[in-house]
Amino acid sequence: MTQTMELGNLQKPGLGPKLKAFVRRRTEGRAVILLAVISLVVVFYEPLVFTAYPVTLGRIALIGLVALGLTAVILMGELDLSVASTLAASGVIVAVIPDLRIAIPVALLTGIAVGIVNAFFVAIVGIASFIATLGMLFGLSGLAFVLSGEVPVNLQNQDAGILFSQPVLGPLTPRILLFLLVFIALQLFVTRMKAGREFFAVGGNRQAAYDSGIPVKRRIFTGFIISGFVSALAGVIYTLTLTTASPDAGSNVLLSSFAAAIIGGNYLKGGKGSIVGTLLGATALGMLQTTFLMSGIQVPVQNTLIGAILLLAVITDPTSLRALIEKLRSALSKRAKVAPS
Amino acid sequence: MFKSRKSLGMAGLLAVAGLTLAGCASAEEAATEEPTTEEATTEEATTEEAAAEEFEVYALFPQGNDQAYGSTLIEPLQENAAALGINITLTNSGYDAVKQQAECETAVAAQPDGIMLWPAVSDAVRPCLVLADNAGIPVWVINTDVGPADAPLTYGYSGPDTYGQGKASAELMCEAVGDEEVNIIQVNGAAGNGTAIDRDNGFTDHVEANCPNVTIVAEQNADWTPAGAQQVAAEMLAAEGVENIGGIYAADDSMVDGAVKALEALGEDASEYYITGIGNTVLGNPLVKEGKMYGTVFQSSGWEGENAPEYMHRVLTGEIAQGDRVTAYMPSVKVTAENADDPEVAPEW
Amino acid sequence: MAKESLTEQIALTEVVAQEAPKKTSGVGLWLTQNGVFLFLVVLAVFAAFFVNGFGSLDNVTNILNRAVPLGIVAVGMTFVVISGNYLDLSVVAQVATSGVIFLAVGSEYGLGVAALAATGAAILYGLVNGLAVGLFKANAVIVTLATTYIGLGLLRYFSGGSIFFGPPDGPMDVFGSGKVGPVPYSAFVFLGLTLVLSLVLTRTNFGFLVKSFGVNERATRLGGVNTDMVIVGAFLVTALAAMIAGFVFAAFSNTAVSTMAQGFDFKALGAIIIGGTSVFGGRGSVLRTLLGVIFVSVLDNVLTLLGFTFGFQQLALGVLILLAVTLDVLSRKLGQQ
Repeated sequence: MTQTMELGNLQKPGLGPKLKAFVRRRTEGRAVILLAVISLVVVFYEPLVFTAYPVTLGRIALIGLVALGLTAVILMGELDLSVASTLAASGVIVAVIPDLRIAIPVALLTGIAVGIVNAFFVAIVGIASFIATLGMLFGLSGLAFVLSGEVPVNLQNQDAGILFSQPVLGPLTPRILLFLLVFIALQLFVTRMKAGREFFAVGGNRQAAYDSGIPVKRRIFTGFIISGFVSALAGVIYTLTLTTASPDAGSNVLLSSFAAAIIGGNYLKGGKGSIVGTLLGATALGMLQTTFLMSGIQVPVQNTLIGAILLLAVITDPTSLRALIEKLRSALSKRAKVAPS
Repeated sequence: MFKSRKSLGMAGLLAVAGLTLAGCASAEEAATEEPTTEEATTEEATTEEAAAEEFEVYALFPQGNDQAYGSTLIEPLQENAAALGINITLTNSGYDAVKQQAECETAVAAQPDGIMLWPAVSDAVRPCLVLADNAGIPVWVINTDVGPADAPLTYGYSGPDTYGQGKASAELMCEAVGDEEVNIIQVNGAAGNGTAIDRDNGFTDHVEANCPNVTIVAEQNADWTPAGAQQVAAEMLAAEGVENIGGIYAADDSMVDGAVKALEALGEDASEYYITGIGNTVLGNPLVKEGKMYGTVFQSSGWEGENAPEYMHRVLTGEIAQGDRVTAYMPSVKVTAENADDPEVAPEW
Repeated sequence: MAKESLTEQIALTEVVAQEAPKKTSGVGLWLTQNGVFLFLVVLAVFAAFFVNGFGSLDNVTNILNRAVPLGIVAVGMTFVVISGNYLDLSVVAQVATSGVIFLAVGSEYGLGVAALAATGAAILYGLVNGLAVGLFKANAVIVTLATTYIGLGLLRYFSGGSIFFGPPDGPMDVFGSGKVGPVPYSAFVFLGLTLVLSLVLTRTNFGFLVKSFGVNERATRLGGVNTDMVIVGAFLVTALAAMIAGFVFAAFSNTAVSTMAQGFDFKALGAIIIGGTSVFGGRGSVLRTLLGVIFVSVLDNVLTLLGFTFGFQQLALGVLILLAVTLDVLSRKLGQQ
């Protein structure tokens, strides 16, 4: 089921079957449909979401950035629960160190270090990533509170923060540009580079990956470092955007980035998925949130609706429905077999 | 062929389901908007001549109908806003500063006549203020004031004096204790929360400066919940020994309720302890009447809800100009056994 | 089960046996396999000597009050974890829903009606989560995230975020403040539930299937078992436990508010993991979770007594999760040699 394996199957059939194979191979169906439905609704009810597109893009960038890094790990069938805490810790580090020229590299290095520690526990010690990163979830969040003295820390250089939110290229702010850059880099890495394509093999069938000589452990390190680095980058962006670092920053980040990745068709057990899918998932969620925000609907009602849409989206996943249909069919055929006797 | 038909069907199903949901959303929207439009029409008769202008205002709040204070604040706010011809669009960031910043960007993009800002994290509002200032949208701050460096970017503030509330509760504590040497324990709000930090500073500063006979021997955070306060209060009492403790300050009446239960669980009579809180809430006011809490500081959600649109209106009509920077503090009325029954301090939330 | 053929039974037993801990003798080995227990003893001994107020009877009550609501959630959630479905995030909403129902409905219509309503809500949560994960094969993390949004959204919409409180000396208050010696009534509920769930997991077909499902989903399914219902069952157990946790937690302070169970999701998971239940299913027990919960509660208690605030408590919990799990892995590697 891995992308690399299926690439080989695409041999010069006619356009029709080729297209069909392409569509079947893609995992982003759910995200595309959700995005289409949301876009349709938005056009009629809240066109502001489109006309004020830099705002919407900014929202998508916030939700999506961490999700992109997370996807690298998910593709290998691993999870990183520490992303939000990494964000909070690196965000505090940026504010605590007075000189931004030192602070930003240190914060980003922290992210890489977190990735290495996570990967060490997963690949070398042999702890399931869900558990190892749960420890980091608590530990790094605690670190963010301890480093900040449990109070929000102001950025010394407030003007740098304000500048950071100004558009630099057309209407695009550095936040959006960085998000696009990370997306492009990861997309190229995963689809065009050998190491990136090996992620699918590691996630699809780890034993087979070992047997075919893929350096599985090194890939796991790569994945967690990507995830840690991107989370730290998001932490830096958060602090610059707000000109202050809050130790409880990103409290919603973990779950919304998981939601974006899964809505985008990434399979949590690995081997199936794509960076594009995560982008689409984040776009759908970001537009949904911006729409709600402008609608003035009460927040509890908004949350109920977001929950309902999420639930609907996951249970109407093609694989879910296929499983259900097969089950019904087998149940029916069983009954049919029993009946004649 | 079968496969594609199936997926087409699925797509159709999804689209229908999505649209149904969207339909629900808009129905919901209509339902929630109904009361305000109703109010608007009833008010119209009386206010048509007074407020012919319609103002669009975004209210960027960190809580709303999901919390007791927010819901009792929003009701009078919307009533008064409607009377003044202000149309309010409410947001609720759930105390997430980044989300509030995104809401601020959205609000500025919608180009309203004014923005009413209740900061999620008061240190984190500068980018929002700069954005609004550049767009020429006046900002009125409520509930938690911004720092002195950010203040010139706003037209003013109305709401509680959070630091002053902590101070007032400390004054009550010092008054209750008198000249006695007393050790007290302190229960703060949620870790990292701005209101919790300001009240903590107000209380601590006043006690240290004015009544050295009161010593804060232990402090802990609780998530503003009675259960959380009860747990940490019980543990601080165990650590220090209940016999060595003479009083408790909690940053909120709900947490006082928990702390009182912690004392009672040890078989102690809370009325023999010096206990002060903040809020005068529906949970706190009876404690004062029963003598379990010496005193609390009234925070009126009604005052805040009524005054916010009042001041916003004065900004919108040019009565308050940029640079005036008006600060209107809600009176920090102290509530003790003497006045707990007065109608002016009837608990609101 | 009776209808199943012998070969299917054997296949299943093999599946479980593969991962079942080897029968070992010797206290030393048991200790290395239950490193948490060792940690707990060390921590308690240290605290008894060096931490003021730790050794008192009142503090036993404090530890139990910390352990009970979290523990009831955790022992229930152990079923979802063992079945290989990560965790149930919606316990946060479930506990709060139940707590608010018990106080809001309870003071209006009596506890019986409230219990009925809370049970109804719990069954609804369990069914929605279970059917979405079991029947529709949707991912448990997202499904329970969605039900958290829905549950908390509805709860806040209808409760307006108010703090609900029961009458003083009402039945909730009496239960919540009642103690036998230093042991609160709620601790007996916790213990009873732990024993019952432990028996369910080890002695019933359902428990056997939950475990085997966690070990190898496909083999279990090939064995002809109706796996959907196993998953629904696991989520129902979690939901009912969360409902009971809501009751005892609301009774503890005689108050309930929609934010009351914030953080219970990952903290309960942390306790389960510290106890040594494998998140990838199959291995683990309710009694291990009990141990994990007590350990987490003692740790939080000691840090609070020492005056450490929130940040350090989080930091310590994180470090200890990593330590406990590393020890667990190393001991298993040693055991295999």
